[in-house]
Amino acid sequence: MITKTTPEVGGMGHPIKRKEDARFLQGKGNYVDDVHLPGMVYGHMVRSPYAHARLKSINTEKAKQLPGVLAIITGEDLAKANLAWMPTLFFDKQMVLATGKVLFQAQEVAFVVAEDQYTAADAAELVEVEYEELPVLVDPYKATDPDAPILREDREEKSNHIFHWEVGDRAATEKDFQNAAVKATVHAISQRCHPAPLETCGCVADYNKATEKLTIYLTSQAPHAHRTLFSIVGGIPEQNIRVISPDIGGGFGNKVPIYPGYVCAVVASLTLGVPVKWIETRSENLQSTGFARDYHMTAEIAADENGKVKALRVKTLADHGAFNAAAQPTKFPAGLFSVCTGSYDFANSFCEVDGVYTNKAPGGIAYRCSFRITEAAYLIERAIDVLAAQLKMDPAEFRRKNFIQPDQFPYKTPLGWTYDSGNYEGAMNKALEMVGYKELRKEQEEKRKKGELMGIGISSFTEAVGAGPAHTFDIAGIKMFDSAEIRVHPTGKAICRMGTKSQGQGHETTYAQIVAQELGIPASDVIIEEGDTDTAPYGLGTYASRSTPTSGAATAMAARKIRDKAKKIAAHLLECSEEDLEWETGKFFVKGAPSKSKTIQEIAFAAYTNFPEGLEAGLEAVNYYDPPNLTFPFGTYICVTDIDKGTGEIKVRRFVAVDDCGNVINPMIVEGQIHGGLTEGLAIAFMQMIGYDENGNVQGGTFMDYLIPTAVETPHWETGSTCTPSPHHPFGAKGVGESPNVGSPAAFVNSVVDALSHLGVKHIDMPITPWKVWNILKEKGVVS
Amino acid sequence: MALQIQKTFQVNEPLEKVWSFLSDPRKVAACVPGAQITEQVDEKTYKGAISVKVGPSVTDYKGEVQIVRLDSQNHEIEILGKGQDVRGRGSASMKMTGKLRALDSGGTEVTSTSELNVIGMLAQMGSRVISEVSNIMFGEFVKNFQARLAQPEGAADAAAQAAPAKPISATSVAWQAAKGVFRRDS
Repeated sequence: MITKTTPEVGGMGHPIKRKEDARFLQGKGNYVDDVHLPGMVYGHMVRSPYAHARLKSINTEKAKQLPGVLAIITGEDLAKANLAWMPTLFFDKQMVLATGKVLFQAQEVAFVVAEDQYTAADAAELVEVEYEELPVLVDPYKATDPDAPILREDREEKSNHIFHWEVGDRAATEKDFQNAAVKATVHAISQRCHPAPLETCGCVADYNKATEKLTIYLTSQAPHAHRTLFSIVGGIPEQNIRVISPDIGGGFGNKVPIYPGYVCAVVASLTLGVPVKWIETRSENLQSTGFARDYHMTAEIAADENGKVKALRVKTLADHGAFNAAAQPTKFPAGLFSVCTGSYDFANSFCEVDGVYTNKAPGGIAYRCSFRITEAAYLIERAIDVLAAQLKMDPAEFRRKNFIQPDQFPYKTPLGWTYDSGNYEGAMNKALEMVGYKELRKEQEEKRKKGELMGIGISSFTEAVGAGPAHTFDIAGIKMFDSAEIRVHPTGKAICRMGTKSQGQGHETTYAQIVAQELGIPASDVIIEEGDTDTAPYGLGTYASRSTPTSGAATAMAARKIRDKAKKIAAHLLECSEEDLEWETGKFFVKGAPSKSKTIQEIAFAAYTNFPEGLEAGLEAVNYYDPPNLTFPFGTYICVTDIDKGTGEIKVRRFVAVDDCGNVINPMIVEGQIHGGLTEGLAIAFMQMIGYDENGNVQGGTFMDYLIPTAVETPHWETGSTCTPSPHHPFGAKGVGESPNVGSPAAFVNSVVDALSHLGVKHIDMPITPWKVWNILKEKGVVS
Repeated sequence: MALQIQKTFQVNEPLEKVWSFLSDPRKVAACVPGAQITEQVDEKTYKGAISVKVGPSVTDYKGEVQIVRLDSQNHEIEILGKGQDVRGRGSASMKMTGKLRALDSGGTEVTSTSELNVIGMLAQMGSRVISEVSNIMFGEFVKNFQARLAQPEGAADAAAQAAPAKPISATSVAWQAAKGVFRRDS
């Protein structure tokens, strides 16, 4: 158990208000587009209208004649500096600016630099590009057809197949299927969607020719990793690069990759010697930057006649677009997709994934999840429902029968993961009770008699977060530890810097609460700084719900180092031996004589004024924390929907979310995270898709077509929690930011399918729009 | 983005007069808002241009128009037009079949079936905008077609030569298209 501090100290478990909100609510945030430097000029991208075409010529003459235009960079220009291509984060390369041909609509073709952004945009219109159209490949299932056009001429392998990856025991799984009394299959598509952070991507590249120092203000979730990559790719000495990620307006994985616009702005600044700003438009963000998912999955479950699951077999086709720009740090091509056995006790499992190229934007990224775990959770939670329906069993009872039990932890899955801790039934029971499950089932039965459509959907997901242990995770070889540095000032206040980077998660509050918990310095006396690579210790950034499991742990470990030193100083001040001292939040006291004590503030002052001989001055510590394992948060979500037969409209009547993320740092922030993630999950389930027509034209490239949920669509969220601490994390926390996005899509879909199950509906692919539902109702003869 | 458009309209002129008009791409092109025939390549092939402006997006297509089939017996014509935007912002192609039928009133019924294929920024707007733009353009076309047909031979020719190709009005098309999106009865 965590000892609770006073509210004044504001340690773990206190719902203190977010420190960062004061500036955000006053409009005083500082985002990349707020950066204005003297002499700054602006870049604008010329993009391809074609999904697949040969580049015949680029004529920049007219554009160059426009007053105010300073430079126009093409792929051929970059090729001279060996920069026309850059490596992706997953063993592929991608074009910075196109040479030879273009491979997706909105691909970067030329970069125009001008004195102001309007001139840059006008000049981009004047760049004349001649294309020769080529056959377009949109359907991933046709990528390996013999007559499919070969997209990547740069590769030695003349094929659109990127990788085949398999894990698990194929033979044992096969045997289980042969002997199984019951088998169920579901084919489910986790559609191509996009994180669509409200702040689009952008940068200001500022090269100072005198100091040879390059400062890049960047929308980056991983500033240190980006600094290293800029150095390796661009050949600029790393000490001369400073990446600053100021306030970030949402990332959700979209700001993990390095994009061509960043590279072009850097090249332009190096060439012109002035700061160059490049900020994407909304459509550019949706059409060209990291999309998520696009997994076409089939799951089969084998079970015995009593409904006890035996084996899971998964086959998946992954559409990566034109380049495999997967932004993920695992060693596996499909990331954490093999957590697809979920919360259930399978004896055997086999999972295989094939990746292919198509003429679509490159990716994908992990949209508010550890890489591919949303796909995995969605698939298993759908498959479990399909099997339960086939056996005519209640989906809650069916889950109860098959859950991994609390005494099985640490639990090794048949696909090789070790879950740290869990109590799945506990979380489900709480959710069932909160929602009033039995009564709802009765109500559903009565409504069906009257011809009304009501559904109840359950999702009992297992998340895997906190990338991650160095043996499985790295970015370009850099291990996935993360860091914290704490400096306690003479007056007992502190500043801490981390290798992570908040994009809205509330780090300035939660890290301060960890320091408060560990050292007793009030959270209000602790300043948190992230995102400046010249000042923060090296780290791998924020995504995959990794900040609390890694930098949060590092913060606790660094604080404990400080406490160890503080103990030496306290012993010196109290003239006793260290063994005679005991710690109580915020002070050391002599055992048996509580009045003889020194507060952390007194000790801090002494660290600079009256420290014992042989001890260094100051009170600082740094820790680089390499987690021994991932953490595995979990929960049960229950969604209740009513469907309007006339319009096909789905109304979410209730949504209960019970999360277990171990020990909680700030319950208010956790609740906020869950509300946000559920809203995104709702949008993915019902509203969003980046679609393409047969010519490769993007059909979700604006907010007219790619819908963002507003207060109108968003239901009331009811949250609850259970607490099963992580046994290996320094303070038992697990991470929570992504659980609602990972766990909720299945709950929404299961609910709609449940509402229509008596009509013979077994599965509906996302996004489940009213149009889709209405067509099903028509097909089933419910409406004419 | 592929789109099928079928339209039928009537004119007062007799079939043979309409046929001689319809089978001359130069005359037909002069009726299309923003379109122009710039050069005759051979008996069946012409070079031309069309400018389409939707909201802030102007697309200047330049390309070829080809008579694929000319059936004077049945009064059917099939035309294939293909163009690329001069600034490289996309392409469009259209296969149009025109068929005439004499009416009892002495006039003629024109039935046209078009398959439109748009690639590029314009196509991103989706069928809801493109089909509305097509509807508006077709409406303009019919008006011009009827007016020019009613003119004496020489005048129509002169007009076809003299009238410079102007892009169809940006705001009016965009606004009417926007209205069309909400006009669910259309």
